Order: sequence, then structure tokens, then C-alpha cells
Amino acid sequence: MANLLENAKKYSMNRRSFLGWTATLTAGTAAALTLPGCGLAKVDADEAAAIAGKEGEWITAACWHNCGGRCLNKAYVVDGVVLRQKTDDTHPDTPDYPQQRGCARGRSQRQQVFGADRLKYPMKRKNWEPGTGGKRDLRGRDEWVRISWDEALDSIAAELKRIKESYGNKSILSKSSITSINALGGSMTYWGTTSDGAWPKPQQFMNGNRSRGSNDRLDLKNAKLIVLWGSNPAWSSAGNPAYNYKQAKDAGAKIIMVDPFYTDSAQLLADEWIPVRPGTDTALLLGMAHYMITNNLHDQAFLDKYCVGFDSDHMPENADPKENFKDYVLGTFDGQPKTPEWASEHCGTDAELIRTFAHQVAVTKPMTFSSSSAAARTVLGEQFCQAFLTVGWMTGNVGKPGASICSNNRHNLQSYGGPALVKAGKAGGSSLPNPLYKQPTFPGPDPFHTDWHGIVWDEAWNAVVTGEYTAGVRGKQPCDIRALVNIGVGNPLNQATNLMKGIEAFRKVEFVVNSAHFLTTTAKYSDIVLPATSEWEKFGGFLTGNPEMIIHYSQITEPLYECKDDNWINIEIGKRLGFDPKEIDSLSEVQKVFNQVAGCTVIKEDGSGYETLITITAEDIAELAVDGTPQQGRIGYKEFKERGIYQVPRSPGDKFGHIDYKEFIEDPEKNPLGTESGKFQIHSQALMDNIEAFGWSKLAPIAKYQYVTEGYEETYSDYEKQVKADCPLQLTTIHYARRSHSTLDNIPGLREAFGNELYMNPSDAEARGIHKDDIVKVTSRHGSVIRPLYLTERMMPGTLTLGQGAWAEIDEESGICKAGAVNVLNGGLCGGQGTQGYNTCNVQVEKYNGPIRLQPDDTWPQRIVSAQGGTK
Amino acid sequence: MAQLGFYFDMTGCSKCKTCQIACKDKNDLKQGTLFRRVTSFEGGKYPHPWIYNLSIACNHCEKPKCVENCPSGALYKREDGIVMHDQEKCIGCRLCTWSCPYGAPQYIEELGKVRKCDMCADLIDKGENPACVDACLMRVLKYGDIEELKKEYGGTSDIKGMPDSSITKPSFLIKPKSEAKR
Repeated sequence: MANLLENAKKYSMNRRSFLGWTATLTAGTAAALTLPGCGLAKVDADEAAAIAGKEGEWITAACWHNCGGRCLNKAYVVDGVVLRQKTDDTHPDTPDYPQQRGCARGRSQRQQVFGADRLKYPMKRKNWEPGTGGKRDLRGRDEWVRISWDEALDSIAAELKRIKESYGNKSILSKSSITSINALGGSMTYWGTTSDGAWPKPQQFMNGNRSRGSNDRLDLKNAKLIVLWGSNPAWSSAGNPAYNYKQAKDAGAKIIMVDPFYTDSAQLLADEWIPVRPGTDTALLLGMAHYMITNNLHDQAFLDKYCVGFDSDHMPENADPKENFKDYVLGTFDGQPKTPEWASEHCGTDAELIRTFAHQVAVTKPMTFSSSSAAARTVLGEQFCQAFLTVGWMTGNVGKPGASICSNNRHNLQSYGGPALVKAGKAGGSSLPNPLYKQPTFPGPDPFHTDWHGIVWDEAWNAVVTGEYTAGVRGKQPCDIRALVNIGVGNPLNQATNLMKGIEAFRKVEFVVNSAHFLTTTAKYSDIVLPATSEWEKFGGFLTGNPEMIIHYSQITEPLYECKDDNWINIEIGKRLGFDPKEIDSLSEVQKVFNQVAGCTVIKEDGSGYETLITITAEDIAELAVDGTPQQGRIGYKEFKERGIYQVPRSPGDKFGHIDYKEFIEDPEKNPLGTESGKFQIHSQALMDNIEAFGWSKLAPIAKYQYVTEGYEETYSDYEKQVKADCPLQLTTIHYARRSHSTLDNIPGLREAFGNELYMNPSDAEARGIHKDDIVKVTSRHGSVIRPLYLTERMMPGTLTLGQGAWAEIDEESGICKAGAVNVLNGGLCGGQGTQGYNTCNVQVEKYNGPIRLQPDDTWPQRIVSAQGGTK
Repeated sequence: MAQLGFYFDMTGCSKCKTCQIACKDKNDLKQGTLFRRVTSFEGGKYPHPWIYNLSIACNHCEKPKCVENCPSGALYKREDGIVMHDQEKCIGCRLCTWSCPYGAPQYIEELGKVRKCDMCADLIDKGENPACVDACLMRVLKYGDIEELKKEYGGTSDIKGMPDSSITKPSFLIKPKSEAKR
């Protein structure tokens, strides 16, 4: 560190100039640095030089946004000023035992935390009035007035009480995590599968919730063929997943990727690309099944022993023998063989390519057949899940090295499998449940139960506007939503489908409150906005997911400005509603983090079980001023905190490998699955009944191809006669490299790196007289956006891609979204188990000739309103 | 004299741009200024498209035109071959930005001067790696003595889309995808 001091001095000239820029921040430029505690105040040259000359320390900083990575992020802090970031260098980097390197998003966290556009003070909408909401249609376009925390919290408590008393608790739409509202008697809540798409129910009934992950990461190298269906880890799970797959490729695995878009991951990993139209993956899989069955390439012995429902001789009890998968594929009873030619008509994949793909999938062993949830994010995505698992099981690639049929392999588990090798403890404390909703909000309630009052995300805004929602077996139920309380719940207006209807809903109700870091879409359309602290301003916490490591992050800075923790906000609202803070949140933040530390366990060297990870001394406990007892573990608390990570070293052949379903395959009688039959259920009546009970769709008990809402066939007004509809193209709205959902969309450096263009095939552009540098207008049945264009042969003709998560910027005159927020285009389609149909949206594209002048996103002014403006 | 340089394995690049962002963080660069940037080139015809990516910063050329044309002596080569820039001497004339075929030196409006990639010389002096190298998610960006890099990884300084290496002799080796090969 001594050298650092010298070098810091050597570069003090540079640093001084950066610090100088800080002075201009209030004028609205990006934050390079700031002094916590001083806000974004001007830093004079002497002070700046003093900081630049000082030695600082590296502190593990949270990378808390909900992406698929789980990476180590460190901040170099000098006197409370963060000068730069770095990533994992806690051990030498090797492919088997890799560093947990963070991506462009994680490396931009300091731009986020110290952004000039951070919310600094509570504020209210100028024309908001308690009791009625005042001029409600001004939400989203009103002026803002800075208020005190007391005024904000008093107003929120008064509105909650009033609405409860006048209309009842069910008139508050919120999330069950807000315990102060639960203490008040609860609220109507949001629920849904969100990112999981249609996977939860098929997994529950077909394989007993088992195969979300795959075999162990290191086992990928044993595969001769890896199929990645709808996976783009380079964007969605940045960090190590793409690198892990690359190791398997370099070890000799062939990789085939299925997607409408030849993604950045495909250009890196794919030996072959199988293009497929969105929402038609089921047809493709059925075409593959037909080829396999008619060429006798399926593993009949495996199907007979481990599955039910493949053919009429192996059906579950009480099932109609005619409802078997094989006869459906062959067209025995419906007269329509699901040939590759039949499939091709729907999915757009060349029939010969379907055959060669199916052949490789059938004969290459061992094979890892892995799907993310992308193809399952359509209405009736369940049929894709059924088809994917069925075709996978037809190959018998289960329970052996290199062989795995893995569903929903995405997010922080992408490229990983097996149990966590190191785990954090439980935070503890009591959590007051929502009396009005006694079911899981994720992935969703049991539709046969009636102990829940909640609205699926996909239907939420429509329910607020129309006063009716779908409640499982209870069918359509009336609702009367008067308040939208979004405290600590993210950015639902931007991220749920049907955004334009959402604005209508926000403008209808009497009260809207939001806590946020920035003036996000949800904040912008609220009445009262509360500035919340980021994870960098809290005592600390844990990041888990990737089963080989846990990350323990620490506080980087004191809370900025008047920002407060969401828990504090919850408690303060509770107090004003007359509840004891202990009832709302029984433990301090420090105690919760300490409990997680003390409860950390790690797998024993011989793989036989878990042991305590952290050594805690009496001094540690005294220093933290928490309740606890000293304990002996592998690594001291202080060392753990300083490293910020504990990662289990891995090497091929170690004791920590995992082959999913090994026990079931070895002895299916002794180790049955958690399904009705104890076997893989290609046919599941319970799945069919369950989906129907949700109240939106009918699903067959086996994988059948039904036309999907806003799928390919609906790009035609008359599919049989091949007459195209007004929205003849299909849009998928995928996870984008610039941001994690909507988080980080406001960071100028990321905006500069990733332009958020509409990806389109040149042939589709040519047919519409659109050229390379045009601004285009994309219109669906639900809204319109304008975007720059990215013409590429990597996009399947007839299909388009636009990254999800841009912060909606609605032009009040035309109703057009300038930012390209995809949920302006995605409707609330509702289907299956309440899956949001993010991945097939029917649209038209035209050259935009209107009055809006669209500038590159990175040149847009930041959202800093005058109520958040100056420091003094 | 030694010559430090970069090596980039294009065949393993995921276009994640973490190098670009880590560089901006290390050097505190506002939007509009990039010391390292990732660009890509596309072609082919559906269903057989191709794309290749290039991560490029200052190439610390053996014969740097920027140094040759700098009238104030602000640009110079260090003992280890890094092309350094002395901000005190820079007069903001921008001859370097016009001379560099790779667009490496960046004129900063607020300063009225130029800044550029110095390969994180301060980190190198401490025995650390340049920020971009340590940031690379796919581990395809390396730095070191250019002769040793050549010995270990091979590579070329001439790919489609880049100026001919004979102009400045860049200290930058690339393992190209087939479509990028000249």
C-alpha cells in the first residue's frame, strides 16, 4: 500500500480535476465522485488534493441488482470517497477454480450509488391532496415539492388508515413483504412466476421440482453435446456462466443453440444455430420427436422404466390410453403427424435442419439438454416445458456424467447444478405474514385454495382499471383498488406488462407511494416518493446463488442525503399506524447480518456433510454489539469480511461433484420422484387440472401444440388463408446487457456502451422501406415506442428483439414511449399459471416521421427534478 | 528496449464490454470518452450470419505517429514501451488525435487537453495488471512483453477492419475469427 500513496500523489493532478467536476454535478452532469455526507457539494481543490493523497482501503461492495451473475465487487474508498472499483482477486484464477469476476453492470455500481440523479429528499406531487389524490391525471407530469420525512410518513399512514376504514384492506394493492400493512390487516398483493415463466407447474408435476439445475458445473466438460435452448448468458447471466460453457466447448463438447436471435453468446459458443420463431418452440420439439420416433432413435428402455405417458402401454393410472405422447406425435388419432415439415410451417426452422438437429440430439451421448426460461415466457409456455422435458427424456440422458435434462437453467444457477457447497445462515427475526394472502407470491398460489387475495402481475393494471381479477377456482372476483403502495418492491409499473394500462391504473386510484433510488417510472407516476438507501449505504449483507461461493458485502458509505432504509420506512409507517416497532421488524439490521454470518456452513472436505464456516470471537460479538456466542469455524470473521467471499476450491474428480437424478436412475423403486407416479410424468392430469384451475387457459396433459396468444399464427388475420394481420412481426423482449431488468438503465457509461436499438433482419426493413440510420416506430396492440435500428442478419426474418427494462419516457402528446420500454408493447395477456407473455408480442414496424427528435440515450438529461435539485 | 503490448483472443470474446467499463472506472471517463472500446463487425446472410468483436485501446505502437507528431513533447515512450502522455505539457493541439490511425488519444473538452490509455502504468508499477485485463470475463485480454506474448499465443496485428500494421507497428496481437482474417 505504500506505493499506492506515492502513485496517488503522482496522479493527484488528474484526481483533483475529477473532484473538481463534482462541483458541477448539481447542474446535472454525471457523478464521477462525491463526498458522502456532503452530498454532491462542491469540493474545494485543497480538500480534493488531500483525498487524492491519502491511502484508502478496498471494501467488498454489494452488486445487488437482480441479474444472473453473483460476482465480487470491491470499492476503493478513501475518506469515504469511492475512487474506483475492482473485482475478485482473492485467489489466482483458473478455469476449475475461477475468480468471480463482475461485468460491465457491476463495474458501474459506483456511478449508480453516487449518481447525480439519486433521489435525495422525500417529495410529493404538487397537485396531490390527501383523501382524494387531488388531480390524479397529473400523475407522471406534475411538479414535485420537497417535503420532510415526517410529512411523508404521516401522510402515508393517514391514507392507509383512511382507505382501510372506508373501503377495507383489500383496496390496498401492495406486496406481502410490507409488514406494517400486514399489521394493519393486510392487503391485496401482487403475485406471479415473473422470470420463471411457465416452468414452475410443469416442474412440480412432471419431475417433482427436481431438475431446475443441471449436473455440476465441472460435469459440463463430460458432455459430448450441449444444447442451450433460449439462453444468452453473455447478457442475462454475465459473470462466469458464459466462461463456464466455453470451458466445456474447449474440452470438446459441441454446442447447439436454439433462439430467434444469433446472440452474443451464440457467436461465442455455438457450433450450430437453430433459429426458431418465438412461441413455436413446442412445434419444433414435436417435429424432432416425430423424427426420433419414426427412425426408432428414442430410448424406449429408458421411457419404459422411468417415465409414464410416452406410449399407450405406459400410462399413469386412470389416464385415457389414447392420450399418449407417441400417438399424438404420429397423428394416430388426430390425423396430423407432427412431421418436421408440419413443424417447420409453424416454427420457421428448415425441416431438414430439424431432422439433423433431432438426429444429433438423439444419438449423441452423453448430452446435456438445457433450457432457460425464455421459451417458457409466453402465454401457455407450459406446453413448451412439457415438450422440452419429454423430448429430453426420450434420449435417456439422465443421471449419468455429462448427461442432463435441465429445465429453467438460468439466472444465478445458469451453468451450475447441485446443492450449495457453502451457505449463509438465516437472518432470523419474525416476519409478520399478510392475513389476506397465505400462499406463496412466487411463483404463485395454489389455484384450488381460497386463502389468498392477490392479483397476478400480468392482470394487475387491468384489474385496477376494470375492478375485476381472476382468483383461481373462484373465477372472476370484484376488486376495488384505491391505493398502490410500492415500498421496497422495485419498479413494477415499468417491469410488469401492459404499461400503458398501468399508467391508467396509477391515474385512477386515490393514493400512490413509492420508495426508490431514482425517479424511476414507478416513482414518476406516484404521489409521494421516498428516497431509499442502496446496499452500499447499509451495514452489509449476503449474495448467494452460484452454489460454489457466498459473498459478504459491507457498508461503503453512510446513507446519502436524507435516504433511509426500506425497513426503517416500514417501521416508521407501522409506528404511525399504532404498532410496536418490534412487531414490524423484530431484529436490528446488524443482528440479522450477524445471524447470517454465524449460520454460514460449508461442505466438509470429504463431501459428507456441512460444517461451521466462520470463527467468531467474544471480541467480534462485543464490537458488533449483537447477541451471539463465540464459535469455531474455518475462517475468522474479520478475514471473511475483508475477503468478502468464501469460494470452495474445485478440481475435476473432487468430492463435490453432482449428478442430478443419480439415485433415481440407479434404483427408481427405492428413490421415487416427488411426482404422482414417482416417475417422470410425460402425461400429467394434475398439471392439466392445475393450469385450468388458474382460470385462464386449457392445457393438455401431454405436450401438444396450441397456438399461443400473440404467437406466430396470430401475426395473420387469417392463418389458413395466410392473410397477414396489422401486427405481422414477432417481438421478443430479452434481458439486455446495459441493465439488470430496469436497474442501471440510467448509467451514462452503460448507455454509451449499449444503445438499446431494435434488432431487425434487413429483409424485414427492406420490405418496409426502412434504412440503417432510420428511427423506427414499433407498434403493438397495446402501445408504441420509437427506437434506433440495428439491422442484422443475426435476427431471424419476421422476428425482432428489443432489450427489456428501459425507463419509460412517454411523450404526452402522442403516447409514444421514447425510451423503448418493452412493456408499453407487451400486453397483459394472462394465461397458464399467470405467466407473463414477454417473449412473443405481435408488432408492426415503420419508419418514424413524427415530431419527436430522438437523441442517443447517453446524451439524455438525467432525471433530476427541482425538488431534488440543489443542496442549499 | 522492451515493449509492452496487449493480446486479444477474439474467438473467446463475448462482447460484454466489461473491459471498456472497467477502463472508464479506472480513469474516471465521462461518456463520450473511451480509452478502450469494444466494436464489432458483422456479415453473412441469414441463416448463416457472422460477427466478430474487437476490444482495442492504445496499441503503444513501436512507431507511434502520435509521439512523432506531438509538438510539445507531451507524448513520449517510456522505457517499457508504454506511450505516455504528460498533461502538464499538453497544449491541446490535437495533432495526436489526427495522427493516430486507431483513434486512441481522446480530446477532453473540459480540460482542453488530450488524455489516453497509459496501460494503467501506475498499476503496472505496483506489480498489478491493467484494469481491463483483470476485468475480462472471458479471460481473453492479456498484456505483457509483446515478444513473449507472440511466443506464447501467436496472433496478428492485421485483421479486416483495422489499419495496416506497417504504419505504426502496433504492440497489439489478435487471435482472429476466420471472418476477420486478412
